[in-house]
Amino acid sequence: MSIDAKEYQDLARAAERAVQFAQKTGASAADALVESINEFRADVHAGRLETLKQADRRGLGLRAIVDHRVAIVYTSDFREASLKDLAARAVVLARQSTPDEFADLPAGPLAQTHAEGPLALYDEKVIGLTAAQKIDMALEMEKIALGYDKRIARTDGCTVQTTEGSSHLASSHGGVLSYRGTGMGLFVNPLADDAGGRQQSGSYGSFARSLAAVETPEQVAKEAGRRAVSRIGARSVPTQNVPVILHPDIAGAWLGSFFDAFSGDNIFKNTSYLADRLGAAIASPLVTVIDDGTMPGGVATAPFDGDGLATQRNVLLDQGVCKMFVYDAYWARKAKAKSTGNAVRGYTYVPGIGNRNLYIANGTTPPEEIRKGVDKGFYMVDQGAFGYNETTGAYSYQAAGFWIEGGEIAHPVQEITVASTTLDMLKNVVKVGNDLRFNGTVNSPTLLISEMTISGAGPAGP
Amino acid sequence: MRLESDDLRGLSRRQFLRRGIAVGATAATAPLWWQLLDANAAEPAAKAAAALPDITEFLGQDQVAELLEIALSRGGEFAEAFGEYTVNTSFTLDEQQLKTAQYGVLSGVGIRVIVGDQTGYAYADEFGMPALREAAAVAAAVARQGGGRAAQKFAVSKAAPPFVLARPAPLYASEEEKIAYARRADEAARAFDKRIAQVQCLMQDTARSLLVANSEGLWATDRQFVSRLACIPTAIDGSNRQGGFGFGGGQVEADYYVKTRTPEQIGKDAAEGAVALLAAVDPKAGSYPVIIAPGWGGVLVHECFGHSLEGDGIRKKTSLRAFQFGQKVCSDVVDIWDDGTVPFSRGSFRVDDEGTPSQKNHLVEKGVLKGYLWDRLNAQLTGNRPTGNGRRNSYRDFPIPRMTNTYIAAGTDDPEALIASVKEGLYCKNLAGGSVNPADGNFSFLVREGYQIENGRLGACVKGATLTGNAAEAMLRVVGVGRDLTIEGGTGSCGKDGQSKPVGVGQPTVKFSELTVGGTQA
Repeated sequence: MSIDAKEYQDLARAAERAVQFAQKTGASAADALVESINEFRADVHAGRLETLKQADRRGLGLRAIVDHRVAIVYTSDFREASLKDLAARAVVLARQSTPDEFADLPAGPLAQTHAEGPLALYDEKVIGLTAAQKIDMALEMEKIALGYDKRIARTDGCTVQTTEGSSHLASSHGGVLSYRGTGMGLFVNPLADDAGGRQQSGSYGSFARSLAAVETPEQVAKEAGRRAVSRIGARSVPTQNVPVILHPDIAGAWLGSFFDAFSGDNIFKNTSYLADRLGAAIASPLVTVIDDGTMPGGVATAPFDGDGLATQRNVLLDQGVCKMFVYDAYWARKAKAKSTGNAVRGYTYVPGIGNRNLYIANGTTPPEEIRKGVDKGFYMVDQGAFGYNETTGAYSYQAAGFWIEGGEIAHPVQEITVASTTLDMLKNVVKVGNDLRFNGTVNSPTLLISEMTISGAGPAGP
Repeated sequence: MRLESDDLRGLSRRQFLRRGIAVGATAATAPLWWQLLDANAAEPAAKAAAALPDITEFLGQDQVAELLEIALSRGGEFAEAFGEYTVNTSFTLDEQQLKTAQYGVLSGVGIRVIVGDQTGYAYADEFGMPALREAAAVAAAVARQGGGRAAQKFAVSKAAPPFVLARPAPLYASEEEKIAYARRADEAARAFDKRIAQVQCLMQDTARSLLVANSEGLWATDRQFVSRLACIPTAIDGSNRQGGFGFGGGQVEADYYVKTRTPEQIGKDAAEGAVALLAAVDPKAGSYPVIIAPGWGGVLVHECFGHSLEGDGIRKKTSLRAFQFGQKVCSDVVDIWDDGTVPFSRGSFRVDDEGTPSQKNHLVEKGVLKGYLWDRLNAQLTGNRPTGNGRRNSYRDFPIPRMTNTYIAAGTDDPEALIASVKEGLYCKNLAGGSVNPADGNFSFLVREGYQIENGRLGACVKGATLTGNAAEAMLRVVGVGRDLTIEGGTGSCGKDGQSKPVGVGQPTVKFSELTVGGTQA
């Protein structure tokens, strides 16, 4: 179900119409975002198709400004009468709001940003896959995961997903910008039997914009199987301070959390622990952090941001030095800074500051060498959902992984927590792996942190 | 467009409960809109009730019957239409300015077709019959052979609502009142202490009209109204910054913020927590006795128990509880319920998102596992009855088994005596959220505000302690259950398989003989 040219134009036109209606009913400025997504998802279980979901979804979000008062409204109903009604509601709602001298749209008409082609956002091969082919991929993936080891008896989730969509932004200052993209994801969660009726899980997934970039069902299944089996026999360890190796999944999750401290709104309001650290060496010189909205084929790549401004490649931390903070148009105006192309927006939500393809730059040490250099320590590969304090940067997660003795894996570990603070961890990065890969939006190579606190069974160890 | 598949990254799939709210994320509900459009509105209350149209204005029985017929045409055994009209509004106050006023409508129909254990699902973001017929045909394609069976004639559900709101807050509090509530919470937080440097307040509500109709003749509707006021202050003292969180709400009457919980209380509670943390110490790492405060502390039973009792994991035997029915899974003093009828909670409803009436389910009795949470499909495939736990995020999602309001029943202990019984331990006053991996049972909870217990008395404030353990045995370590049951129905949102649902959680004061507490002081 490829988007045809006429539908593409109709969506852009809906964005323009909503803006025009807002102006006619009294908005001094307005912009509208239209999103359309065709989603396909097949889930299999025990060798059979379990659910098949296919639908087209779309929506329009209108930001209307009346004398520096802002309202945001959205709908999925694109009929002309509905858009008129929506625009009128936006204007009424904006009048309820309080004036904010910084509330405005970026000056001037929307201008062409990056050319779409080189960004490699759209892959005809993803669109060309039939439902039957995608179901077969999911079945194959589950079969390989189940066959990986005799202790793997079942899966809890085996999914193939594709999306195709387009985004259209129109502004009352003139112009409309559009682009389209595709995405494909494979995911499987095999369960391995452990002692005492317990199980271990080994979730793994791959997500990319093109069929060529996403891993094969076999690659995903084998990695997931390896993860599940490797955790069999996990146990707690005593409380102590040791070096901790962060697997790329864990380092990436940490990066995704502390990105918020670079967000221009938190800097302006002095609610970020980095507020007065611009230009300071806050991390080990081994650490460089980049947020790139222009990376070809990136899952979070786009030609323009939620304000209609060109996305950028921004270096936030350069060899440990805090180089910049990130802004959308509103907070940039307020902070007398420049937008960094970091406005994120979906049709149902209020535009705000967010990351694009965010990553820690690749290092030079092979991950096995990092492990061999640890005499006694913890290799963290899984974590709980909560454990980061966005105000202080405190880090304290439930963790699972492996105990390391003499540079080798001694046994799997669970039922512990790993704690430190983000600023201490940044300073204490002593090795950066050479294993950076891009899977999803936030990524990192393996990191070695020289010391963190493990909390586990019993009191502190000797 | 944002590609929404970051849940596919490598970390284990986790189900989580969050109390908070991402500022700027989609909000909740809706109000006196129409009144504002009509300058002559003489009687605002009367007008307001019209603000949420009824779903049956868009979907009649004849139309739905036609859709079900198409849905069954390829050999499906069961077909269902789920129609929804939802109005969300939110007001965000930041830096003492109303930064955003937001209003939105989500409306459409989802069609589900089941054949054996296989499900086809499709939806349309509208009520126009051409789009709905296409959705029904797409969903029908999961079945590949055989003629259609006929749908039965509709019989309107007579399920009694667990409670009725005369003047639901989303509809009967005016826009001006809602903005004023946010302002008052902001002012109360700032007035509490001069170190409260920044405050964000969110007033959000959702009004939802839904219809479930299926080929077995079910025709059920519900109207749900959820409101929430949250206050998120930051206390700053030099380079010491600490966040707080206060909230109120639920499925409440418009005068809730006047009579039950005022914006001033919400603002003060939030500020008090943030200021207390300025003087807080880091937790001591190790395993030792832990006491969890009543109310929101029930996030613990939600994670440790609730998720592992959901019918999908039971049927597929991916949950460790699938093998424990009738066995002792908690200590004797623990009784656990899931109750979709708790008055005024976000997690309550008249019928679930499959049309099954809400009910009260006994899950654990005196420590013994005796119940599971069933949606229709998983119940049918295992020979059980649906328990009113089939829920979905919206018409864009198929239903899955979910909790409603999950809680530990009141025990017999004096809460003060439980604290007095601990020589050295941690009292957890305020949990930020929790998560569990239902396959391996590993859970964690982030304690935003705790207190050291020393010789039976509360001591220094403790910040950022993470509790962890394994669900397989954690509840066996409950050694005391207070008399002071509180069910918190005002703010919980539970995430599972990418679907978010409002829930309530609850418990009395609960004492664990030992849990692992994360911290930086080894």
